[in-house]
Amino acid sequence: MDAREDQEDVDRVLAGDISAFERIVHRWQGPLVNLAYRFCRDRSRAEDMAQEAFLRAYRGLKGWRKDAAFSTWIFAIATNCYRSELRRIPEGNLPLDNIGSVLDLIAESTEWNDGDRDRAIRRAVSALPVKYKEVMVLFYFHEMDVSAAARSLGLPEGTVKARLSRGRKILREKLPRFLGEFRLEEVQ
Amino acid sequence: MKPDELDRVLLREAEIVPSSGFAGSVMAAVRSEATAPPPIPFPWLRALPGLAACGVAIALTLMDAFRSPVRESASAATPTLTQWLDGVVPLLERAQMFGAGWVLLGLLLTAAGLKLTWRLAGGRV
Repeated sequence: MDAREDQEDVDRVLAGDISAFERIVHRWQGPLVNLAYRFCRDRSRAEDMAQEAFLRAYRGLKGWRKDAAFSTWIFAIATNCYRSELRRIPEGNLPLDNIGSVLDLIAESTEWNDGDRDRAIRRAVSALPVKYKEVMVLFYFHEMDVSAAARSLGLPEGTVKARLSRGRKILREKLPRFLGEFRLEEVQ
Repeated sequence: MKPDELDRVLLREAEIVPSSGFAGSVMAAVRSEATAPPPIPFPWLRALPGLAACGVAIALTLMDAFRSPVRESASAATPTLTQWLDGVVPLLERAQMFGAGWVLLGLLLTAAGLKLTWRLAGGRV
């Protein structure tokens, strides 16, 4: 992403050229839709959420202080938007307590493969309590960059690290059997 | 679970591609937002006389209600609970005369209605 292009397009939009916003949408639609998808695991809803995030960004363009990168600003807006949307209508998920048994069933099956395991682990992350889930989603979305995740969430890095550690601990507690099988498979 | 196993699974997530009409749909929403008339501001100028009149009426009522108990208890050096209640009872009676209970109920219902609306709208109002 070219930061200068973003800045030029924002200046044009603020000067009244709405079509410049279309270039911003084209540049950022992939990241914003993918981030929304990681929050809700529903493609259609992810697009609705990303559209709302773009609208909020459009309304708040004047508020972008150019000392922060446009990417930081737009991710913070999108994250905030997705968090409030999911608080309003929560994602339909299995309760976390049931995830372990579902994963155990998968692990017992003779036909499970890496794809099943990956999907199951992602479902387990989705079923985490919101404050751990959002930290984990942002951390992996930003390719394990704690400070980027902290900026998107508007939280101190220490809080993000603590929640990340707690989220991992919960996953470890909920998935021991499945992950035991997983380890055995890897050793062989 | 070793942390790197979890990292590997969660980092290796397939990207989804936005549908072909997504950008167009966003821009339609943005254009509609840009061409929409600005929201009607609250008519403070028109409401001001009414609000001022309400404020004055409330102040006068309170002053009137407090005047007699204060005068009566002014001689007492340390007011006891009975004296305090003697002062409050006429105030409540007077408030009842003006239908304060109904006013309070109305205000509570309005607050509950606003809160419910806010909640249903997801804080987007």
